[in-house]
Amino acid sequence: MDTVSVENEVIMADDGIVKPVAGGRATIDRDNRETVGDVTAKNPRMRCREVSVFYGEKQAIHDVSLDVGSNEVIALIGPSGCGKSTFLRCLNRMNDTIDGCRVIGDISLDGDSIFDTKMDVVQLRAQVGMVFQKPNPFPKSIFENVAYGPRIHGLTRDKTELEAVVHTSLDRAGLLDEVKDRLGEPGTGLSGGQQQRLCIARAIAVNPEVILMDEPCSALDPIATARIEELIDELREQYAIAIVTHSMQQAARVSQRTAYFHLGDLIEIGETNQVFTNPHHQLTEDYITGRFG
Amino acid sequence: MQTSVLILVLVALTVVGFYLGRSRSVAVAGGTAGSAQLHSLPSYYGYLTAIWCGVPALIVLGFWMAFQDNIITHFVTADLPAETAADPGQLGLALNDVKNLVRGNITSRATDPAMVAAADHYRQLQTISRLALTVVILALAIGGIALSWKRIGPALRARNQVEAVVMVFLILCSTIAIFTTLGIVLSVLFESIRFFRIVPVTEFIFGLEWSPQMAIRADQVGSTGAFGAVPLFAGTLLISGIAMLVAVPIGLMSALYLSEYASRGFRSAAKPVLEILAGVPTVVYGFFAALVVAPQVRGLGEAIGLSVSSESALAAGLVMGIMIIPFVSSLSDDVINAVPQAMRDGSYAMGATRSETIGRVIFPAALPGIVGGVLLAVSRAIGETMIVVMAAGLSSNLTANPLEAVTTVTVQIVTLLVGDQEFDSPKTLAAFALGLVLFVVTLTLNVIALHVVRKYREQYE
Repeated sequence: MDTVSVENEVIMADDGIVKPVAGGRATIDRDNRETVGDVTAKNPRMRCREVSVFYGEKQAIHDVSLDVGSNEVIALIGPSGCGKSTFLRCLNRMNDTIDGCRVIGDISLDGDSIFDTKMDVVQLRAQVGMVFQKPNPFPKSIFENVAYGPRIHGLTRDKTELEAVVHTSLDRAGLLDEVKDRLGEPGTGLSGGQQQRLCIARAIAVNPEVILMDEPCSALDPIATARIEELIDELREQYAIAIVTHSMQQAARVSQRTAYFHLGDLIEIGETNQVFTNPHHQLTEDYITGRFG
Repeated sequence: MQTSVLILVLVALTVVGFYLGRSRSVAVAGGTAGSAQLHSLPSYYGYLTAIWCGVPALIVLGFWMAFQDNIITHFVTADLPAETAADPGQLGLALNDVKNLVRGNITSRATDPAMVAAADHYRQLQTISRLALTVVILALAIGGIALSWKRIGPALRARNQVEAVVMVFLILCSTIAIFTTLGIVLSVLFESIRFFRIVPVTEFIFGLEWSPQMAIRADQVGSTGAFGAVPLFAGTLLISGIAMLVAVPIGLMSALYLSEYASRGFRSAAKPVLEILAGVPTVVYGFFAALVVAPQVRGLGEAIGLSVSSESALAAGLVMGIMIIPFVSSLSDDVINAVPQAMRDGSYAMGATRSETIGRVIFPAALPGIVGGVLLAVSRAIGETMIVVMAAGLSSNLTANPLEAVTTVTVQIVTLLVGDQEFDSPKTLAAFALGLVLFVVTLTLNVIALHVVRKYREQYE
């Protein structure tokens, strides 16, 4: 598996900072704002072309093009405020809920533009699920949390089917064994890591194609983080996953491709292995060697 | 010295005390440079001196003013003829006359020499008292400054002492409200007990007829007095019920619209406008109900062949409902906004529409808070007076028909106590019993509501 090989090559020093094996080989100058690397994926699920996002007058993202491919995890990294979360939220049009936010450019899911009038945002979000930074289970029972999506989309015909969906989703999220005897208890009573896995179960209960994760582990302890990372690796077999993370180790561990954002520009995109060991762009190298951000 | 002048002098002394204390502390520390050796900032020594100057003097002044009259009266009583002093009624009249003489007012009857002597004595005692007061207060104030002046030194923990005094002061202020409430409750309670000695509690609570006119003369007709409060409770419930039927849906829906659908600009314009409703005086609502809504309701009823009395529970309830709308909407808006954005994001990210998100996530999450707000609104409706006085009528019908005139607990309290009343007949005492019931009901509702709201708040913290 390439994640493992990445982990071997990106040597973590005792101080926890990722050090590229061969540093200082970046050839592209800091001032170059063009994207370096291949933005396309082998089996693209979502295709973004020249996407720009404005908050009122302020432009948060400049002409970003990027594919999210099937059965891969793409990590979006970059310093705070670089637009990676904003970009992620474009993919399921969550930016619609923000006043004064405008998205231009083209984003398509399986070839259909998500801004098309034919594309209902309800349908889009059923196909593109999302997991947030802070676990946000609804103040309902564990069962009702997972059943939420299937209920609002009318995915199941009767109670037995619904129960089956809830059980499979919890099982796939690796939570079933811990909660199967207390599905009626409130989801807010679980531990942080369990809550986050509950949110993942909730997202996969509607059988999406793409799962977006916005720093899913930043509120969790290392053990819960490890569980989620394992889970992400397993989920890759069925879904396309885009994950925003501040932890470069995490990006190295879970992703196949890595995209580095800086001040609203996509600076570099490539195989995770290559981005971490041999970044082409000087800004990327600065970031992953810990020179800033 | 006049008391007001004395107080002014005291204030001046306190200010002087502040500056003396402050400069003393600086001097003790050896100039501004040495003030680091002091336990507290120089101004704290100033405040401490000011407190020592002002507070004991003010306390003594307060007690003196409170008891001076009683003590002087006590001395003067001894001067009056023995037969007058023996009879409490006569004594009261005589003392009143003495005080009138002292103030130069007209007395109730011809003045006799004993009275004039007593008045002179009174005046003399007053002068002595005033003189003594001036001396004592000034001595206390100056003594306080001197004492504090002597104590000031680097080791004196002035800041802690000032803070302690401030805390005591704040505690006193907060207990004033508590003791006032307690006083109101007790006075209502004791008057109610007097009422229940005449009219049994069971008759009051379970009686079906309310007719508080008591016969003043033995031969008076038709004024037997009946104190069954059930029609009043029923009327109150009916009108409050109608009001809540109007206020809860409209208030809640407008809160949902404002917090979930409306754009920021519309919200910031509409919310204050809605809250203006809460600022309209209830008496204005009252005549609006009586002069505009009630005739409309009657006209409408007649148009569809119903007989509607010109003062109806419906009209009063409708207007009261409108009055309560901002109450419900403002409280609901607060709790709906308190539902974390993460909940909305989570729901929208699942592909839920706005109404699904509201119905399945936001509303259930906010429900306890909304219930709390509604309960507060109910207790507001039950206690509301002006609208029902004007629009609901005075006749105590025991009916569930909103088109008839009914009366409420508050209306009856008003009518029982307005105008000249004898305060020992069951008729007026009944008002206290009604007040007690009203107080207990609204207090219970408020306690439940606050408890529910608090429980809900804990959920997200």
